[in-house]
Amino acid sequence: MSNLVYLMCSLPSLSFGQSPPISMEEFTSDAKSQLNRKSFAKLEAIDIQNMSLNSTKAELKKFSAMFTGLKEDISEIRHAKTQRRSPRISALPKTILAKNPFEREMDILKWQWEELDSIEAGKTFTLTEVLVYKLKLQILTRLDSFNTEKGSKILASVVNPAKKKEEQWQE
Amino acid sequence: MAGVKIKYTKTERARQKKILKVSLRMLPLFEAMEKSLIATINSIAENIERIREAIEKNEKKATPWVAVMSDSWVDINSFISVHEIITQPVDVAGVRVQQFERVDFNVMPTGEETPLWVDDAVLLMQEQLQLMAEIKCLQDQIELLEEELLEVRARVKLFENRRIPNAQMAIRKIGQKLQDDERLTIATAKVVKTKKREEAAS
Repeated sequence: MSNLVYLMCSLPSLSFGQSPPISMEEFTSDAKSQLNRKSFAKLEAIDIQNMSLNSTKAELKKFSAMFTGLKEDISEIRHAKTQRRSPRISALPKTILAKNPFEREMDILKWQWEELDSIEAGKTFTLTEVLVYKLKLQILTRLDSFNTEKGSKILASVVNPAKKKEEQWQE
Repeated sequence: MAGVKIKYTKTERARQKKILKVSLRMLPLFEAMEKSLIATINSIAENIERIREAIEKNEKKATPWVAVMSDSWVDINSFISVHEIITQPVDVAGVRVQQFERVDFNVMPTGEETPLWVDDAVLLMQEQLQLMAEIKCLQDQIELLEEELLEVRARVKLFENRRIPNAQMAIRKIGQKLQDDERLTIATAKVVKTKKREEAAS
């Protein structure tokens, strides 16, 4: 418990939209030094990018429900698109459907953030708080990677391979 | 015509007349072909410009959301690549060229964990790659048509500057020479006749 308190107190606070104040490597190394092996294994297992978490354990159940809801909605949106009908989503807010891909991704991340907020509510200095911290840090890291200039270059390099070769040569 | 020896015969004059006749008949055909090639090249160039505008329009349309393409979770390059560009041979202004039909893509299926934006990005990239492939086909067409245009222009110049003037000059020279020869023959005959008449009188 004291290690958890120490870990959580030593970590910088996170808010949606900011640049990650700590790298994932730094966080993992801090957590590894402070958590016991069992808790660290749980921390390592949870990953916002890999939503295959399917746990019945109390502390992971809420994460599992969040991931399942998101996966089902994404799947429904894709099916509806191929079947040319309006999707019936349950977890995600319906407003995301009318937005452009960037706004939609931002809204999904914001929704995930808010879900994580509700998961950690009242769980101060518990493993859940550490798990939420990791997921939030992953969200911030991903958000930070969104960049119009880089995105344009990536689009151009896929569409125009000659340009891609030119850029590689310049690098 | 310089360096070419003209045979001052009626047969040669007839041959040159035939060359002139054929050349005068062929020249407008080549001129029409030249015009048709120029018009076709211009029309293809305009088409390329229209496609470029469409590409730019798509890019502008995607600008508000292009930032997601640098998503650290996704390597969009691995989701789409061109498998084959399908073309069909057609005759354009008398030249056999390849006409763009469609592009066959290798598209990696999206999984449950693939972000939604990937679907939009793949669609956009398919459209852009298709337009780029169309431009490439049209540029190849222009290249072939320009080669043909160079040949046709060379022929037009050949007819305008050499064949027709040479044949006209040859016909004129042969005509003058034949006329001179005829006059000389008549004059000689008259001289001979006069001499014979004078000899008979004396």
